[in-house]
Amino acid sequence: MTEAAARDPGFLSIAAAEKHFGPATVLDGVDLAVGRGEFVSLLGPSGCGKTTLLRIVAGLVRPDRGRVVLDGQELTRLPPHRRDIGVVFQNYALFPHLDVAGNVAFGLKARGADPAAIAATVARNLALVQMSAYADRSVKALSGGQQQRVAVARALAVGPKLLLLDEPFSALDRKLREAMQIDLKRILREVGTTAIFVTHDQDEALAMSDRIAVMARGRIEQLATPAEIYARPATPFALGFVGLSTRIPGTVQAAEAGLLTIATALGPIRARGHFLPGSAVLVGVRPERIALGSGAGDATGPAGPAGHNAIRAALADAIFKGARVQLLFAAPEGAEVQVEASSLPAGAAPGALLDLTWAVDDTLVYPAAEAGPQDLEAVA
Amino acid sequence: MMALRRIDPVGLLVLPAVLYLGLVYGLPLLNLLARALVIDGVPSVAGFVKFFSDPFDWIVIGNTLRIAVLVTLLSLAIGFPTALALARARGAAQALILVAIILPLSVGVVVKAFAWQIVLRRDGVVSQALVALGLWDEPQRLLFTEAGLVIGAANVFVPFMILPIYSVVKLIDPRLGEAAATLGAAPGYRFFRVFLPLALPGIVSGIAFVFSMAVSMYVVPNLLIGDRFQTLATLTGRSFLLMRNEQLGSTTAVVLLVLAVSVVVASSALSRRFGGQS
Repeated sequence: MTEAAARDPGFLSIAAAEKHFGPATVLDGVDLAVGRGEFVSLLGPSGCGKTTLLRIVAGLVRPDRGRVVLDGQELTRLPPHRRDIGVVFQNYALFPHLDVAGNVAFGLKARGADPAAIAATVARNLALVQMSAYADRSVKALSGGQQQRVAVARALAVGPKLLLLDEPFSALDRKLREAMQIDLKRILREVGTTAIFVTHDQDEALAMSDRIAVMARGRIEQLATPAEIYARPATPFALGFVGLSTRIPGTVQAAEAGLLTIATALGPIRARGHFLPGSAVLVGVRPERIALGSGAGDATGPAGPAGHNAIRAALADAIFKGARVQLLFAAPEGAEVQVEASSLPAGAAPGALLDLTWAVDDTLVYPAAEAGPQDLEAVA
Repeated sequence: MMALRRIDPVGLLVLPAVLYLGLVYGLPLLNLLARALVIDGVPSVAGFVKFFSDPFDWIVIGNTLRIAVLVTLLSLAIGFPTALALARARGAAQALILVAIILPLSVGVVVKAFAWQIVLRRDGVVSQALVALGLWDEPQRLLFTEAGLVIGAANVFVPFMILPIYSVVKLIDPRLGEAAATLGAAPGYRFFRVFLPLALPGIVSGIAFVFSMAVSMYVVPNLLIGDRFQTLATLTGRSFLLMRNEQLGSTTAVVLLVLAVSVVVASSALSRRFGGQS
């Protein structure tokens, strides 16, 4: 969290926001506090309620219950044009009857600003997004990335207290998207605007955010820094949605002083956690935490160093990803075993048995009852 | 062979329309113009000089333009909100409104005009309603008045106002209004600075349709206001059918054509000037 955010952690505060469309619950009591100057991403699959939450903050959707407070001002019943919140829409929503400068000037004119001040602000914001040369072009003649920049300049020109971005990069190709991510971070750092960013792209959220709110089924599953979400996902959903993971279902056999022994189809696995023996659980491991060893010559079974788990599995497929190789292993129903390595181990042909070892401390464990992202995809 | 090959085959698609318009519309129009400008076999503008020097003809021009403008304004006042409602409506409601607009087009103008004769009578629905509301002290006849003509004609032409506006408005991205709102624009500002400029092409086509139909209507004034009130169209008809004065009829027809075309051309030029680059 930035210094300013730490000083004013409740700059934007959403309390118990709820929204139903007919019988469907889109938001199921969401609380969220965003600090001043902070960049928070709402990350989740389509249908998780992230866009609805954004539209509630903007005032474009009225929540059934709950409150929105920005900078000490209650916004819940305020119409959007009196909220001081800028929005960058997914399709940019530029005004086709105005040129680039006209689009950026729109909000200033609507507020009745003085023409000289408008011209200066428009010029400054176009320079900020490196679109000065296009001021008198028609917005219809711009490329997607250029329209994107104009949309950002238009939203920032009025000096909003808060900037909302609704999947702004989803229509851009990958290279342009990555360039725009870096650019947007630079722009927001220069301006110091607090921002909420809606995305379904985990890489985008991890790359850009101060904090990420992982959303599923109308709730926030976890709100934490990207590093924390990645290393310690709070729920199986967060584990599955952010980054790759090995997931193995099992049953707790023994629990002693916070050290669990879990029986799985791939052998016993130890983890730190608090579950009663007999509980059904899901074991998770990040793929780059797992070390590979050749299990072929060792008849006694998999073994790792002290404080490590070890399983033996048959290699099913290897996917070359440039700098890294993703290895997929044969796994029983409901499990997924994958490892990321810097190179393919010697003799690792499909069908080869390999030993997988990782630290007990890197083992994540969750109650098994919760739905994973696969279940959610089926709903969405 | 070489010349034929250079013609874009897509361009040939307009050939039937060009032939049809040229034969059935262009040639008679030239014939009309010739009759207006040729007197006793000699080219002459005497017909126009005579027409424009008669005060009665100026009254007729005034009648024509006034009625056409009023019918267009009334159609716009009724048609614009209807087109918006139609664009917003979904499913069954939208189908219902569309049917209500299009179905009456299949009822002939004569039938509609006779129906309005009944509605606009001294003891008709409109008169009774206005008396019942206390707006009128006693029943009055709207039939054979200019007001009656405007009301009846607007009913006939309003679909041609609604449909072009609807077809433009339904394509306006609702996010534009939301974007304007988040930029601090109040509802009135959003309407005049975003919605209206984008809807303008539809409004202009609607106005052009209704005005050109209202300025040249013949049957509706005949049935709803009668002989004592003349417009360029009814005068043209009388000249040919009753007075057997082809020269006068051709002259009034040309004046009407020039008026109608110049208003339509001017209005679309104005919309291009003020409607931005769209």
